[in-house]
Amino acid sequence: MALTKGRILKETLPLLARAGIEPLEDIAKSRKLIFATNHDALQLVVIRGTDVPTYVRHGAAELGVVGKDILLEHGAEGLYEPLDLGIARCRLMTAGPVGWQARGSRVRVATKFANIARRHFAAQGVHADVIKLYGAMELAPMMNLADLIVDIVDTGNTLRANGMAPLAEIASISSRLIVNKAAMRSHYAHIQGLIDSLSAVVGEV
Amino acid sequence: MATVDRWQLPDGVEEVLPAQALVVERLRRQLLDLYRSWGYQLVIPPLMEFTESLLIGLGSDLDLLTFRMTDQLSGRTLGIRADITPQVARIDAHSLAETGITRLCYAGSTLHTRPQSLLASRSPIQVGAELYGDDTLAADVEVIRLMLATLDTVGMHEMTLDLGHVGVYEAVLANAGLDGEREATVFDALQRKSRPDLELALADMDPAIIRLITGLLDLHGDESVLDGARATFAEAVPEALAAVDALQQVAAAIRRLRPGLTIYFDLAELRGYHYHTGIVFAAYVPDHGQALANGGRYNNVGKVFSRARPATGFATDLKALMTLFSVTQIERGAISAPDLDTPGLVARVGELRAAGEVVISCLSGSPDPRCDRQLVEVDNEWLLQPLQS
Repeated sequence: MALTKGRILKETLPLLARAGIEPLEDIAKSRKLIFATNHDALQLVVIRGTDVPTYVRHGAAELGVVGKDILLEHGAEGLYEPLDLGIARCRLMTAGPVGWQARGSRVRVATKFANIARRHFAAQGVHADVIKLYGAMELAPMMNLADLIVDIVDTGNTLRANGMAPLAEIASISSRLIVNKAAMRSHYAHIQGLIDSLSAVVGEV
Repeated sequence: MATVDRWQLPDGVEEVLPAQALVVERLRRQLLDLYRSWGYQLVIPPLMEFTESLLIGLGSDLDLLTFRMTDQLSGRTLGIRADITPQVARIDAHSLAETGITRLCYAGSTLHTRPQSLLASRSPIQVGAELYGDDTLAADVEVIRLMLATLDTVGMHEMTLDLGHVGVYEAVLANAGLDGEREATVFDALQRKSRPDLELALADMDPAIIRLITGLLDLHGDESVLDGARATFAEAVPEALAAVDALQQVAAAIRRLRPGLTIYFDLAELRGYHYHTGIVFAAYVPDHGQALANGGRYNNVGKVFSRARPATGFATDLKALMTLFSVTQIERGAISAPDLDTPGLVARVGELRAAGEVVISCLSGSPDPRCDRQLVEVDNEWLLQPLQS
């Protein structure tokens, strides 16, 4: 099973523990990439979120835990996403400088989520020039690189601290369990058992 | 372009080198012989056709997958085939125009504008068989058996057969009466088996309808799924039961010949939903993230060629099959012969080649490394002797 490192990992481990799956060593304290668990047939790998769907789609990992934002951005073709784990909740939003008004027919949008942004603005009938950035989106409107941003918003504190306000919610995000299609067939009983036991504990932590 | 890059091939386009080409060609011959022995006649459709005949409703994916160009002779748009099935359907519907059952098979290169899955080839070699003119389950069973025999030939014994029927979803959908936009969202969520997205898409619907559609999410797994489907749909959507019965019969027929085969049912498998009209199936092998072969019933596709015919068939990709073999060593066992015109030698070499041996002339330098024997003249006779390597 491929897990997304960072905040999602921190919230995934207690959920797995509730479902009776525990790594045999402390993931936070190790530099290893693959971890054995108390189940012989299940190993955990800890990787970047954007890499999780890739591993699962190729069948290198049979299952994965990844944010819905990644699935929306990169597409979920060839994957099953049977379960909302209800963890690492946040919102994917457009945001702009306080008091921002649309001028003209085009907007410049800075974002890490280029596909989602393009789709969102197209659905509004707005032509968006999407500028792909890898971090600190809030900086782009301040430096006049972009008019608006599309980003993950948790508390909204970073936005406020930089004189910006959230505008519209594109999607509410949480982590999903994803499954490789071929693995679902070849290890049906095992994987369905795991989905059932995780689904039983969703919302408990 | 720097000369350094000239060797480079486009992404997803590969050449097949000797060791693997041997395997691919052997497989191609074995499979075409297999199909011939089942009564499937070989056809060789052209590499390109007018897009009007290539894109005949076998899915919008095919539209995007097809390379196009303008025909300098007619000014019409030509497409390079991305799938051979529509061509074979045309041959059945128009070129042969027989009224009874027609069984056809084919093997050929196709081109895809983009890879169908990660790391998939954009120039697969498609091999398949199609059966036209019979709308009974017996035809579905025959084609599934032939697909399984295909994988047997290739040496894949541990496989999972995936069975589905578009009729189940069709009936449930007709019962629910969704509008176009919502249907697209529901379809998308079902393909991903995403319960949360499906519940979101149906949030304001009648709870009974929600229960039926989300019920599809659980209808995958072993044969107990069919009983589950009967329980779920018996009262609300009796139209779906015919499809469930069809699946049961097909599964039973396959089981009679292959008691040990793992069969996985998935009543929400919607691959090719827009053109499939009945049983759909696929074969999966361990450690291969994609289906290795797939097919299904696609009745009435021939209608655009003015003859609607029942149709079912399957296809696989020889290059995908090839990746499952690890071939590295070169074939040994060839015979080295001196490069002479001596009548005795020429005759002997001819005999050996006719008998299936590989005889390689030793031009200059040492014998080809594939040779383990050589022809040596002893008392006016050419004899085979071991070659020390």
